[in-house]
Amino acid sequence: MTAVDHRPGPTDQREPSGKAPTGLAVWFRDLVMGMRFAVGSGREGWTRTALTAVGVGLGVALLLGASSVPSLLNNRSERSNARTIEFGEQKAPRSDSSFLFHRVGSQFRGESVDGILLRPEGGHPVLPPGVDKVPGPGEAVVSPALKKLLESPDGKLLHDRLPYRVVGTIGQAGLIGPSEHYYYAGSDKLSLKDSGTNRATAYGWRIQSPDMDPVLLVLILVGCVVLLMPVAIFIATAVRFGGERRDRRLAALRLVGADNHMARRIAAGEALLGSLFGLIVGAGLFLFGRQFIGAVDISSLNAFPTDLSPVPALAVLILLAVPASAVAVTLFALRGIAIEPLGVVRSAVPRRRRLWWRLPIPVIGLALLAAFGTVDRKTGSVNTYLIGAGAVLTLLGLTMLLPWLVEAVVARFTGGPVPWQLAARRLQLSSSSAARAVSGITVAVAGAIALQMLFTAVGDDFTKPTGQDTSRAQLQVMLPARDGATTEKMIDAFKDTKGVSGVIATISSRILSAGQERNEDGFPLSTSLTVGSCETLQEIARPGPCKDGDVFQIKGGPGSYVDEDLPKIARPGARALLNDFDDKGNVLGRPSTWTLPRTIRPVDARPDPTGEQNTGLFATTGAVDVKKLADPTARAMVRLDPSVPDAAEYARNTAARFDVTANAFQLMDTSDDRRFVSVRNGLLIASVATMTLIAASMLVTTLEQLRERRRLLSVLVAFGTRRGTLAWSVLWQTAVPMALGLALAVAGGLGLGRVLLGLTGKSGIAWSVVWPLPLFGAGLVLLVTLLSMPPLWRMMRADGLRSE
Amino acid sequence: MTPAGSLLTARALHKAYGSTPALDGADFSIHPGEVVAVMGPSGSGKSTLLHCLAGIIRPDSGSVLYGSRDLSQMSDAQRSALRRSDFGFVFQFGQLVPELTCLENVALPLRLNGVKRKEAEERSLEWLERLEVGEVRAKRPGEVSGGQGQRVAVARALAARPRVIFADEPTGALDSLNGERVMTLLTEAARGTNAAVVLVTHEARVAAYSDREVVVRDGQAREMAGLA
Repeated sequence: MTAVDHRPGPTDQREPSGKAPTGLAVWFRDLVMGMRFAVGSGREGWTRTALTAVGVGLGVALLLGASSVPSLLNNRSERSNARTIEFGEQKAPRSDSSFLFHRVGSQFRGESVDGILLRPEGGHPVLPPGVDKVPGPGEAVVSPALKKLLESPDGKLLHDRLPYRVVGTIGQAGLIGPSEHYYYAGSDKLSLKDSGTNRATAYGWRIQSPDMDPVLLVLILVGCVVLLMPVAIFIATAVRFGGERRDRRLAALRLVGADNHMARRIAAGEALLGSLFGLIVGAGLFLFGRQFIGAVDISSLNAFPTDLSPVPALAVLILLAVPASAVAVTLFALRGIAIEPLGVVRSAVPRRRRLWWRLPIPVIGLALLAAFGTVDRKTGSVNTYLIGAGAVLTLLGLTMLLPWLVEAVVARFTGGPVPWQLAARRLQLSSSSAARAVSGITVAVAGAIALQMLFTAVGDDFTKPTGQDTSRAQLQVMLPARDGATTEKMIDAFKDTKGVSGVIATISSRILSAGQERNEDGFPLSTSLTVGSCETLQEIARPGPCKDGDVFQIKGGPGSYVDEDLPKIARPGARALLNDFDDKGNVLGRPSTWTLPRTIRPVDARPDPTGEQNTGLFATTGAVDVKKLADPTARAMVRLDPSVPDAAEYARNTAARFDVTANAFQLMDTSDDRRFVSVRNGLLIASVATMTLIAASMLVTTLEQLRERRRLLSVLVAFGTRRGTLAWSVLWQTAVPMALGLALAVAGGLGLGRVLLGLTGKSGIAWSVVWPLPLFGAGLVLLVTLLSMPPLWRMMRADGLRSE
Repeated sequence: MTPAGSLLTARALHKAYGSTPALDGADFSIHPGEVVAVMGPSGSGKSTLLHCLAGIIRPDSGSVLYGSRDLSQMSDAQRSALRRSDFGFVFQFGQLVPELTCLENVALPLRLNGVKRKEAEERSLEWLERLEVGEVRAKRPGEVSGGQGQRVAVARALAARPRVIFADEPTGALDSLNGERVMTLLTEAARGTNAAVVLVTHEARVAAYSDREVVVRDGQAREMAGLA
């Protein structure tokens, strides 16, 4: 035997083959291999992975944002409770830590400016949350937003109203949101005798939130489905970026021995890595984006960055669901593709899309909603699971119907100019990617139509008329008037205020019967006395002729408070006492007698600009000495000149000059339910985020498709194809599926809206809220097409023909 | 000065991609009905020469005269219009538009030129039949063989009756039998319409269909001795 005889043959050189991996190990091996391909196939691979990561990242960022909403609301609520001052009927005893406080509410250019005046009663007063030191008299600690406002040129006007020396800022623990205008000011004038001033010994009050209106719950539920479904669809689209090139790579893998299943798992591995990078990108975008959350402020709905913290369970769900979805979507997408070892991947025999299994999905969804989605506003019961499931099925069904609809319609396209033909043929060959690209907006528009229908229908339930008449006055100021002279000065001051065109001013007090008669509670007979000019009287009653010195008995209108003591006191020539009485019914102070004139006559009440029906006695200023009134209150209803900017602010400043605790509030024709407004604003913010995502999704998809066809575009350029031809072709390719998607969205949205209206016992379609939404969608298509033109121009170069 | 009767003439063409020169003073000319093979090793600049001659890219310097018009002085729109009306193209992989049928692919240059659809498709069908692929007219490129696809591409290049056909490795993706058939049909059809063919190839077997050969090396084009 020679040495040659011992030389091992080719088969002998092989390593002994170990046990072939099976089951999960196979999956793991192929997924890892796919992940290696995703980053190991040069610039092309990286670009594809990066595109997927950015796409998934955008979706993940939104999902993380949505998962943070519960903690955001909770944190805001907890801080609000923590700074609420508890006080009860029983006055707290004075102590070293007790303090007097008086809440002051105001507005500045439509923004609330709220504060609390504090007067410590001992050496160690408790501190409000977020505050290091109780401000001394004339000092204030303010929120950073208020500080910024006060220091700005715009804040000069507000400074007149808050003439404090700012000695510090309130920390996050003491504020509901970063853009809140809030302050604590020190005062050495607060007294328990003053109305609105109380004593407390602590901050913090656990307020049990009332149950949410079931209709609002339905709105939130459907809103979440509407807003989050496009995000899920976008993520599913993003993991399929670069599919055509990947398919060619898979064919090459088949050539070197990979079986069909292995090739699919490798493809899933590529998508998996993209989605994992997407999670990182999404977390980064979320953390970056939340730094700016403080700048978002819609109707005082704003939060600190740290408020936006995902609920851990939801974050884990996102962490697991996104990569798992990437794998599932890829495997699902490849199910209709036969990957062959030779040549490029050939599509398996295209199967016509069937309607029979698609149509039942939205029908079942609507049926679920109609049959089981009952809303009982009396008991507050809502079947959240069934309503959620019904809405999901309905909207998911629309995304299932869309590919069928696009395929069925474009199959009928023949003829037309070259751009149309290019687009139509492209859609006929592969309509699925186009349908996928617009399915997000289909869901969003359908859901938005349904929500808007619901909002419009139930809006009246949450928007109540106040009864206030803003054509007669726009601002009301209430002041405790310590004496009549000051009150008269105040009224004059309002009249002289810039931007004030009229003042309806009254001074009110109580008067007692001079007789010994008592009411059934044992108290002296009493009624209200309002003092003002004849001009003022015209605003609160229908007096007929009036001259200074007259007194009137104002009879309340139907449905108004019936003052049983009034007829007994308001007798011509009767004597009354201008005194108050204590809680035992004893008259306070030296009796101050006022004799009613014999000319007193009854008049009908007229609702004043605040909607209030006044009753009692009305005396013109010459009929009674206001200086003698006990504990009078001044009220001014101010008519503003709309041509003067900041007229309301000047009037508020005038009020504050007389008393910093003056309560000046704006009259409004209607008042909105705060929760309804919050839900509406929250959904508005989320809608903007979703629509932005959809626009980004469509743009990325269009660019991705253009990138895949770069070489073909170069060839068409070589022929001399005009740019306009290709631009129109791109537009038609986007516009045709979009038009079909929007048509489906309108039909689906109206259907869903009708059913939801049925749940809440409403009917009727407000078309004015329906048509803007498809128009918005169409505008989005135009925008995306315009934005895709510069890259299209760049790709329409002969460089793409170079192969070396 | 252009050679007498020349249809397309290039003089002292320079073109660089970044710091890498692709053409370095290349000259070229072709007459109507003439088939000229442009040969050279990979990366020598032959495709760049073709792209400059066809007005697809603009040379850094030098001139390309088509008749009396200098392509290097024409705007992008003017060059595009010229390519639509007077030039035809065949590429290595056919580069047919995948979503259009073979007939629609052939009719595409005609339709881009403003010919009505029906007439364009009638004329295209004639060309498909002449190139022996009439039976695939309703099929999409993905459904036909490589040889058939390349014949469809040749039909597309000829359909608008161009005066110059630019063929960049037209048989590069075909087996020899199919390649020879495509070359026979291309050159016969071109000669039948008196169209010039600029044939970029690195295969001597394909170059053999030409009337003369030009070799591009180091960015310069030289006439092969003993030919033409």
